[in-house]
Amino acid sequence: MPIGADLVLHEECDPAVLLDAERLGLVVAKAALRYKTPLAFPLMDLRLEKADLLQFLGVEEAAVDSFHFDTAPDEETVAGVRMADGRAFSKRIAANHGAVRHIAERTNLFPVGMLIGPFSLMTKLVADPISAVAMAGAGVTPEDDEGVRMVERCLAMSLATVLRSARGQIAAGAKAMIVCEPAANTVYLSPRQMRSGSDIFERFVLAPNRVLRGLLGEHGVDLFFHDCGELLPEMIGKFATELRPAMISLGSSRKLWEDAAVVPKDIVLFGNLPTKTFYSDAAMPVEEVRRLTQELAARMKECGHPHILGSECDVLHVAEAAETIRRKVEVMLED
Amino acid sequence: MPDLQKLYDAVLEGDQKTAVAVTQEALAAGCAPMELITKYMVPAMDEVGRRFECEEYFVPELLLSARAMKGSLVLLRPLLAESGVQPAGRVAIGTVKGDLHDIGKNLVASLLEGGGFEVIDLGADVAPEKFISAVKERGANIVALSALLTVTMPAMRTTIDALKQAGVRDQVKVMVGGAPVTPQFATEIGADGYSDNASAAVGLARSFVRPE
Repeated sequence: MPIGADLVLHEECDPAVLLDAERLGLVVAKAALRYKTPLAFPLMDLRLEKADLLQFLGVEEAAVDSFHFDTAPDEETVAGVRMADGRAFSKRIAANHGAVRHIAERTNLFPVGMLIGPFSLMTKLVADPISAVAMAGAGVTPEDDEGVRMVERCLAMSLATVLRSARGQIAAGAKAMIVCEPAANTVYLSPRQMRSGSDIFERFVLAPNRVLRGLLGEHGVDLFFHDCGELLPEMIGKFATELRPAMISLGSSRKLWEDAAVVPKDIVLFGNLPTKTFYSDAAMPVEEVRRLTQELAARMKECGHPHILGSECDVLHVAEAAETIRRKVEVMLED
Repeated sequence: MPDLQKLYDAVLEGDQKTAVAVTQEALAAGCAPMELITKYMVPAMDEVGRRFECEEYFVPELLLSARAMKGSLVLLRPLLAESGVQPAGRVAIGTVKGDLHDIGKNLVASLLEGGGFEVIDLGADVAPEKFISAVKERGANIVALSALLTVTMPAMRTTIDALKQAGVRDQVKVMVGGAPVTPQFATEIGADGYSDNASAAVGLARSFVRPE
């Protein structure tokens, strides 16, 4: 997704910004103005919902990033997460919500929220989600296997956590929500299983996201669906037709002008310059950024699909390469 | 004597329960542990790798096969150790300092084990000192570094530099991988090899230990 807020944030050189709603809101607004967009895309931080869930479950803050369940949480724990929806958010999350509120109330920009998708959050809670999902896809039931039971219950907790995050951002004034599902890809979900008729994509990805989509729809909030993972065209088609986002953002491995064939014309395609490689002049020279940008713009114009030029991912700050990254983003936006 | 083709099939199909059951039967019938590995399990994993390369198999299938193989190896390893059989190589693997992503690293670790290597899994967010200890104290002759984020890639260079400063760089081969890592980057930071997928990482590790 858009990298602007990340680039501006790193100019601030003050980590306290992340806990200060007003200053964070200013960073988001500054990024939107600098990169000439009315969409106030927030700072991407896909660790927030995991931290929110684990804080509730009593995991120490320092252990959150590396925490994985080693057994399936019991049903009471899952129910407890669902019931505790009204609890206060952490300072960091509250600052994010405050930044959305700043945009909504004090600027003319379009306030956009962001959260991790339920499937991707589940994959952060389990050490080996891939095997467990594949086993589920092969017909192993939660009753038969601890791993399958663990991914199912963690997915239920993830959905509850993500819905809570969405409600918080909607209350702050978000008019659209970027739902990031980078793990819903062909590394985590076997194309072999999906093509042989397994329900894993429906069961683990589409179904929980449909619930989230329902919540957004109830509040008139648009869905911007982001998935920078490796995908099959049929997965993109399902995202489009089943979740009905206003916008789909994809990774640089996709040719957007080809994916346009499976995405209805009323859904904007966003992306997808390979910003993950912008740090390296050898892997991605400035001239190649210019060429790729021009090619993408021309191809999208040719295919006639609504398109917003953007980056593939926000996670790109490399201190020693900050200037070359910034330069390449500017080249993207020339003309 | 059990039908050992079932062991090959179980590893190929990622069926851990059957792989373990056939291994138990085979050991009870007096089969040599090394023979089970070299004649059935390693060829099955090689076939898994081949299917991965030609996109018949994908990462989930790789993991399930590796899981089946590991299930059997749990039974076989103590017997191999007793008889003094040495692994193909000893790999210290970890995701570099600052990076908590371990799916790719776990996959490579599983496939290396399946390929006959002893794996010292240092986990995620691993400081350079831990790699140095694994070389000095546990005899690792290959260091495998993983990073998912561009933010954490510089820690690969830091780790290699630390191996040099500790005087152990010449004792090991260093391989790197991860989504943002490129062959150019691997060369720039002084790694010995780069792999863009887990299956190829096993081939790379084998090339390091192959007699010249």
